[in-house]
Amino acid sequence: MSAPLAETLTQLRVGNQKFLIDFYQRSRHLFARWAQRKHQLAAPQAHELLQDTLLDFYDQVADGRLTLLPADLRAHVYGMAQQRLAAHVPAHQPLPAAEASRRQRLLAQFNQLGSDCQQVLTYFYFRGYNFEKMGGKMGFPNATVARLQKSTCLRKLYELLK
Amino acid sequence: MSPLAPNPDLRPYLDELERFADGQMSPAEQDAFELRLEEDEALADAYAAYEQLTADLRWAAGHDTLRLRLQALDERMNERGNALERAQRLAKGRQRRWAVLGGLGVVLLLAAAVAAWHFSRPNTAGPARNWEAYYQPDPGPAVTTGLLHSRPLLSEALDQYQAGHYPAALHSLGRVSAAKVGADTLLYLRGLILLRQGQGDAAQLYLRRVGATDSTTELARRARYHLGMAHWQAKEMREALVELRTVAADSLNPYRRTAQKAVASGVLEQR
Repeated sequence: MSAPLAETLTQLRVGNQKFLIDFYQRSRHLFARWAQRKHQLAAPQAHELLQDTLLDFYDQVADGRLTLLPADLRAHVYGMAQQRLAAHVPAHQPLPAAEASRRQRLLAQFNQLGSDCQQVLTYFYFRGYNFEKMGGKMGFPNATVARLQKSTCLRKLYELLK
Repeated sequence: MSPLAPNPDLRPYLDELERFADGQMSPAEQDAFELRLEEDEALADAYAAYEQLTADLRWAAGHDTLRLRLQALDERMNERGNALERAQRLAKGRQRRWAVLGGLGVVLLLAAAVAAWHFSRPNTAGPARNWEAYYQPDPGPAVTTGLLHSRPLLSEALDQYQAGHYPAALHSLGRVSAAKVGADTLLYLRGLILLRQGQGDAAQLYLRRVGATDSTTELARRARYHLGMAHWQAKEMREALVELRTVAADSLNPYRRTAQKAVASGVLEQR
């Protein structure tokens, strides 16, 4: 880990997920061996479990539930995976009650949008691109078109939620 | 607020809320909107709901992006793993093929070495084969036109001998008069023909009598060599060795070198 620990969480919150991607790439093989030895899990299932666990970890950071990076990240992630297995969580771990269903529903509706709309909303709300940069990325003629496009996509999503 | 969708209904306010949140208002519009937020409770609720929606959206986009990135990475790693496995399998197959070829090569090399040793080892063949190997036949005088006119019967016998018709040659030779050809010549030729016929014992009787009167003639020297070989053919090795040693020691004998070779080989002594 080259960046300081505190900086890593900040980077994750502003959308730089490289830290988790690198962790997955580095740990996938060892994690699969651990899951096979401890829980008799086949490699593809172990890979899926690690992905879900890292998504949980990301959610905890994004929500503010995790404000300090654990000293032993590997042990923390393995512990989270073990909890998922013990609780027999099939896919994504539910978020805290107040937000879980609302966010999961939004995520489901977000995935119902067309790929262009998903991209536009991701660029604007997740990446933090301005309209000009987003227009350039999406091939729109100018920033106004990008703003109108974003507005249309947000309305579509809102209509799906209603 | 409903847990499933933002409440109240944002639709009447969405334009304004977006323009405000995205910084699209002029400073005057923005001041006016902020004043309304403080005074209009419905607008304030809508603004809070809008903020929650965009926060959720930010989370959803991030979550989904991470999910897709992890999935894509997983697929890439699987493909790389499969490719590595394939490459290792191919390398193992190649190694196995090389091992088989190497083994085959070693076996062939060993076989070649054994064959080379077998064919290059000293020849321990029996004396019968060696007799053939060491014998230098005498074709006899050439049948010329002159000889044909002057000694027709002798010419006929020689012709048959040279053609390998030994019984016919012996028969023809029997009709030649010793007075015309010479007794030693007849004895010599008869001995030669019998030797070629494989009758070493009989050949000795004639060859021994050649040069009975003068053992220094060339014919007598020749006869001695063939006599030695006749003993050898009759498996009388000791006598053969004695005769051939004499020939080998005789510098005037035309078969001296052949006799020396036979004596030096030691085949006769072993027997």
